[in-house]
Amino acid sequence: MHRFLSLFILLVGLFANAASHAADAPPSITTADDLGPVVEQPIEFPHNRHAGNRDPADAADPSVPAKGGMEINCMYCHTYARRSMVSGIPPLRKCIGCHQNLPSVRDTPRIQKLFEYWDAKKAIPWKKVHDLPDFVRFNHERHIQRFIFTQGKPVQEACGYCHGDIKTMTVARRQKALSMGWCVSCHEKDHPVDAAATKTTTHGPNDCWQCHK
Amino acid sequence: MIENSFDRRDFLKVLGWGGAAVTLSGCGFTSVQDGVETVVSYVEPPEYAIPGISVYFNSTCAQCDAGCNITGRLREGRVLKLEGNTSSTINYGKMCGLGQAGVQAHYNPDRVREPMLRGGEVLAWDKALGMINDKLSGVKGDEIAFLTGSVSGHVKVLLQNYLEALGTKNHYAYEAVAPSVVRAANKKAYGVEMPRLRLDKAKVVVSFGADFLGAWVSPVNFSQQYGKFRKAGDTGRGVLVQIESKMTLTGANADRWIAIRPGTEGILALGIIHALGAAGLSLPADVAAVSKAYDAARVTKDTGVSAEQIEKLAALLKERSPSLVIAGSAAEGYVHGSQNAAAINLLNSVLGNIGKTIEAPTNVPFPQVAVTTGNRSSVQALNDSMANGKVKVLFSYGANPVFTTPTALKFKENLSKVGFKVVFAHYLDETTQEADLVLPLDSALEDWGTSVPEYQGESAQLSIQQPLMEKLHANTRGVGDILLALLKQRRANEYKDYEDFYSYLRNAVVKNKSALGSAGEDDDTFWTGALSKGLVYFNGSKGSLSAKSSAAGIVLPAPAEEDAAYPLHLIPAVTANLRDGRHANLPWLQESPDPMTTIVWDSWVELHPKTAAKLGIVEGDIIEVTSRSGSIKAQAYLFPGIHPDAVSMPLGNGHVAMGRWAKDVGVNAFGILDQVVDKETGELAFNETRVKISKTGKRVIVVKDEGFIGGSQAGNKIAVRASTDEVELSGEV
Repeated sequence: MHRFLSLFILLVGLFANAASHAADAPPSITTADDLGPVVEQPIEFPHNRHAGNRDPADAADPSVPAKGGMEINCMYCHTYARRSMVSGIPPLRKCIGCHQNLPSVRDTPRIQKLFEYWDAKKAIPWKKVHDLPDFVRFNHERHIQRFIFTQGKPVQEACGYCHGDIKTMTVARRQKALSMGWCVSCHEKDHPVDAAATKTTTHGPNDCWQCHK
Repeated sequence: MIENSFDRRDFLKVLGWGGAAVTLSGCGFTSVQDGVETVVSYVEPPEYAIPGISVYFNSTCAQCDAGCNITGRLREGRVLKLEGNTSSTINYGKMCGLGQAGVQAHYNPDRVREPMLRGGEVLAWDKALGMINDKLSGVKGDEIAFLTGSVSGHVKVLLQNYLEALGTKNHYAYEAVAPSVVRAANKKAYGVEMPRLRLDKAKVVVSFGADFLGAWVSPVNFSQQYGKFRKAGDTGRGVLVQIESKMTLTGANADRWIAIRPGTEGILALGIIHALGAAGLSLPADVAAVSKAYDAARVTKDTGVSAEQIEKLAALLKERSPSLVIAGSAAEGYVHGSQNAAAINLLNSVLGNIGKTIEAPTNVPFPQVAVTTGNRSSVQALNDSMANGKVKVLFSYGANPVFTTPTALKFKENLSKVGFKVVFAHYLDETTQEADLVLPLDSALEDWGTSVPEYQGESAQLSIQQPLMEKLHANTRGVGDILLALLKQRRANEYKDYEDFYSYLRNAVVKNKSALGSAGEDDDTFWTGALSKGLVYFNGSKGSLSAKSSAAGIVLPAPAEEDAAYPLHLIPAVTANLRDGRHANLPWLQESPDPMTTIVWDSWVELHPKTAAKLGIVEGDIIEVTSRSGSIKAQAYLFPGIHPDAVSMPLGNGHVAMGRWAKDVGVNAFGILDQVVDKETGELAFNETRVKISKTGKRVIVVKDEGFIGGSQAGNKIAVRASTDEVELSGEV
């Protein structure tokens, strides 16, 4: 009896220890619908306002505040996506470049906060929404060059393969699993290649070292 | 309770379940940090900056005094990797491991970050500089001393100006492992301290203990030349002969490695001259007169090198000209070190190598920026002054004498007699700990500077050191900036135009652009070009050698007597990784196995297997090495590449301070050296220390890469080995 008791206590202790350890870890990122965690950002950036579809009721006059989106190209702000491994968070100067000429929204709380950062010349500490393990090297440039510039896919569609329908969100939230199986599921598909393209292969590379290097 | 009722079976059960529990809790992508990690973008990005794409800047390596030109790779404003600068004629785009570890010196967590008083109290910069000013008031000029390592470039200019402003001439340039005796011997024999050694032109290289591929003078330059020397071109593949008592990396690469009785290198050199004469080479009368006494029988008896070997060497040198003979650190470290080096240099002159494989370096037209090389006698001079109470204020930059001087010198005790000690420091090392005021320095990758290396490439150059990235710590400063601030205390008017060291440096370099080969260019174009190249060449005239090697004055003592109490010679080894120990806190260097023994993270005692057998020592025995000046304990390593009369210990480890990776690793062999100096130059005679060895009864497993069998191959002929006497290298002669 004594023996079982001590064994029991030890095991319970071990599991409790392991559980508390697990509770310290960041929240699990694999949810049933593949959605990532809701991330709180220093400024609640409205992607829908910038990239969303234009409301047909909006006037063409830019001085009248619009209700719908402005259909800004993703790559206008995430300018490095077509040239580099990472798409890059736009530098603060980019935000200010437009907003100093937009007096209509200058006094809204989010824009005021934006100018506070600019006046202090401080970078905005955005939180990472789409993170990959350190042993994975995903290259934006390769995907953007292929889908947008070679095959002429609409920008929002191409970006949306991995990022979902960002134009409907305010703060971005991860929409896809971004797991290896998920990446491979796309790389295995036969992508229609247009006749002008020189590439003969119709699916993405399947070598380990393409990503793990 | 548990002891009574808990048996092995239960223990295993708990272990199994426990393991399962831990495994389950560890599931998932643990390195993914959605919503946790911050991704910081630029406020205003520089034009060239694209996140994820590297940019490159040229600078100069400050890890040793060779002054290689480097290119740093940066991403998102952080330096990641260093490579050699391909336009450099010092290192030809290559780099050594010590240089690579420069990144770790920069990111090192043990760097000093704030100005500090003794005991660790932090103070502001203006207070610290003010304190120096206060302490200097009322102190006479010759009571102030400045201790540095080798210095060159514009930091040297400011340093000299500061010393002048203080009214002192007491500049002590100290390098613990510099070839200072060889420099003096070269000056006598060739007229210059460090001629250009053209290994690439030589057909035979005979090196008396110069580890030019590992740690001697400018190893990357020599390695590049060595590649050409070894290539079978028109002249055939060059032959390398290394003569030394303890095998170095260069010795391991040699065609013939000749073990010589410690201290008899000069005798062998004269023996070879004698043999050359006997083989028909005409010798000048004075040389013939001196070498007459060194016939094969005597030389063999003195040096332990066989007559046949000497004859072969002489034949090789006579047959294949031009050759190159190098006097290295192993030959200079004796009471008669100067004589050894002179005899070896004489061999070059007899063979007619001067002007062929020994060339004059290009003159540096500005002596004020030319290098002031460090030596060991300077620290002895400083020590004497301190002991006599002649030093009231001491500045120290780039030297760690408390660690690198023999305990017998009592440097630490004498240092405490100095009233006020200021140390410019990267780490809280042994010397910095004794300081009254510690000034934290920028890392070499954050600082501005210029350097003129001692060993120049094809023509003399001014290497430019520029920051590769923003400073990591807000309160560190560049050495130039500190000197400028100190100078402004004395000569405010003269330096008022210079806001910082950068503006001084730019002005000084641009002002002399015509002497730097860009007379016609406008200032900005010249300066930007210089920064982007990382170096500028002087319009220097080719120097000349004055070959005046003569046999007069060469007096070699008979080999040292057997010492019954201390029967073994201690040869402290300068390893390619750790050198004099200034970089012992870089884990990459500790982790890279020593090239000869493959030992990591420790010190050791190299013993010849025969010597070990005689003393009953096996690998891993902790043995006590006792000299007249002290004793240290370390693990034994049996190594056939050492003379049976000698033992060797690596330098660089054994720190009692400095940082988490240096402290308490290994033992400090500097400490037990006898304070014996070369008669002519007064330089510490490194290899003169005699030791005895005793077992302590403890044994450890030596941590090394080569495995437990070591080099013995356990009787399997995996790589066949033979002594140089047995093998006939056909075609060598």
